[in-house]
Amino acid sequence: MVSILGVGLGVASLLVVQTVMNGFGEEHRLRIRESFGECVVIANRPIAQVDELISSLNLQEEVLSISPYAEGPALTRRGSFSGVAFVRGVVPTDEDLPARGYVVSGDFNDLDDGRVVLGIGLARDLRVKVGDKIDLWSPVMVDQAGKGKAPLPAELEVCAIVRTGFSEVDNRAAMISLRRFRELWSLGNKVHGVVLRLDDPSQAPAIAARLNQGKPDLRFVPWQEIKKNFLEAIRFEKTMLFFLMFIITLVASFSIGSTLFSAVIRRSREIGVLIALGAKPWQLVGLFGLQGLWIGALGTSLGFILTWTILAFRDGILGTINQLFGDGDMVANVYQFAHVPLHYEPMDFFIAAIFTLLVTTLAGLVPALWAAGRKPSEAMRDV
Amino acid sequence: MSEIVLQANGLKKSFKSPTGSLNVLRSIDLEVHAGESVSIRGSSGSGKTTLLQLLGGLDVPDSGVVKLQLANQGMISPHRCLGQGVGFVFQNYQLMAELSAWENVALAAQIAGHGESKKEALTLLALVGLAHRAEHMPSQLSGGECQRVAIARALINRPAIILADEPTGNLDEVTGKEVMNLLLEVVAERNAALVLVTHSKEFADRTQRRYFLSSGVLTPA
Repeated sequence: MVSILGVGLGVASLLVVQTVMNGFGEEHRLRIRESFGECVVIANRPIAQVDELISSLNLQEEVLSISPYAEGPALTRRGSFSGVAFVRGVVPTDEDLPARGYVVSGDFNDLDDGRVVLGIGLARDLRVKVGDKIDLWSPVMVDQAGKGKAPLPAELEVCAIVRTGFSEVDNRAAMISLRRFRELWSLGNKVHGVVLRLDDPSQAPAIAARLNQGKPDLRFVPWQEIKKNFLEAIRFEKTMLFFLMFIITLVASFSIGSTLFSAVIRRSREIGVLIALGAKPWQLVGLFGLQGLWIGALGTSLGFILTWTILAFRDGILGTINQLFGDGDMVANVYQFAHVPLHYEPMDFFIAAIFTLLVTTLAGLVPALWAAGRKPSEAMRDV
Repeated sequence: MSEIVLQANGLKKSFKSPTGSLNVLRSIDLEVHAGESVSIRGSSGSGKTTLLQLLGGLDVPDSGVVKLQLANQGMISPHRCLGQGVGFVFQNYQLMAELSAWENVALAAQIAGHGESKKEALTLLALVGLAHRAEHMPSQLSGGECQRVAIARALINRPAIILADEPTGNLDEVTGKEVMNLLLEVVAERNAALVLVTHSKEFADRTQRRYFLSSGVLTPA
């Protein structure tokens, strides 16, 4: 019973960590896609033939929507507070703009040529809320100032504030209409890039490679490349945790092995009798090996149930831990997630089950092989 | 003379001890014929149990040969056919604590691959007077009853020879006599040979041939 519980706890700890890490990974991947686009088309210089590009991309089956944009740094100020913003010009009526899903105050639909949407960090730096006005200087205006002109800053009213969870977005992002951006940056009809939404984001690298063919001036960047290092870090983190959990499970397996070994030693007399009655070594190996397999199977099942139970009550458990240690809601404050994210990966469960069954069966087989090799006269003397 | 069911020639066995090699058995020769009963007496530590284990294939001799007559297979080494030609009755019964009386009896048949053997087990339990205790666990049986179960277990595969190692050693005098009477009776009824290791001269006298083991040598008593 203790052995089964030990296996169950080992399996559950492995799967809970894996599933939550999968959840964090999935959530981050989703946010990367929504913050930066599933595939971004960029060029070495501003794209002039944007309508033609959009028309040709519209013919692609995998492309669900196309959002042209322009972007660049700008100085922002409100009163005595100022900051550097990374301004993105977007089409305000574009219903597929991912930022719409991250509005924490105001209304994205109010965005027009006289208004701006700010990241929450930048809004805090400038001490503004929805309805306040900020001044914005583009590099073109700074150039003009250098030539002795005194351009007035663009005055924009804050219509919405967004929080994506990515500090580089939240602390610097400002969104204005594409038309206003072109005007402030003297961009004419050009754009800096196009964001694509795809029917299958996981296929973005292949789609990007295909779309790139025959367009030497453009570069199609899939979302997996946009934040490659970050995604690698998440993957590495998961691998490291799997490794650590693997060691814990290995230790648990050794305890199972020693438990089974003790059980075999304890039953030496009976093993001797079984041999005296004609039991073949393979029958003894089968008997005790099966015991290990049985413990593994029950332990794995228990582990699956424990995993599901712990994950079902994960928010309550984390809340209690936060209350006990006074850490506040880390998931909400640090990661901006409403819940502890999770993502069940069948392959993780499959690997955990196979690994556990293998180890517990081996843990039963080793003492069974030892028992099967004993002389019955010796075994029966042990009590 | 009936055919030989067990033949031992030149059996030697020694054990390592802190003071050097301890020669327990020195060239033992023994023949047992079908249906015959043989007793071996000797003082404690004389090697009676060791000899019985060599005869039954539970241990291997340092030198010498043991052969057992097995139906359709001729004379073969007993440790190659454990559970087939020999039935064991041990001093401390050696029953499986988790199995009921009939399951203990049937276990030997199942291991030998005789399949469903409950009916035969119940018949044998009836033969040893324990039909009403078939479902009882060993912990619910007296010592004498446990030994009766062990006798039934020894008989289930219809062995040519029964090797009994002080089967009354753990029993009181009255129960011991009952068990011995039963053992001799059922062995005779099944026409099996019997090798009985015992301290008791009274029980030994009831066998057809009697030996005494001393200083590793077996001599007729």
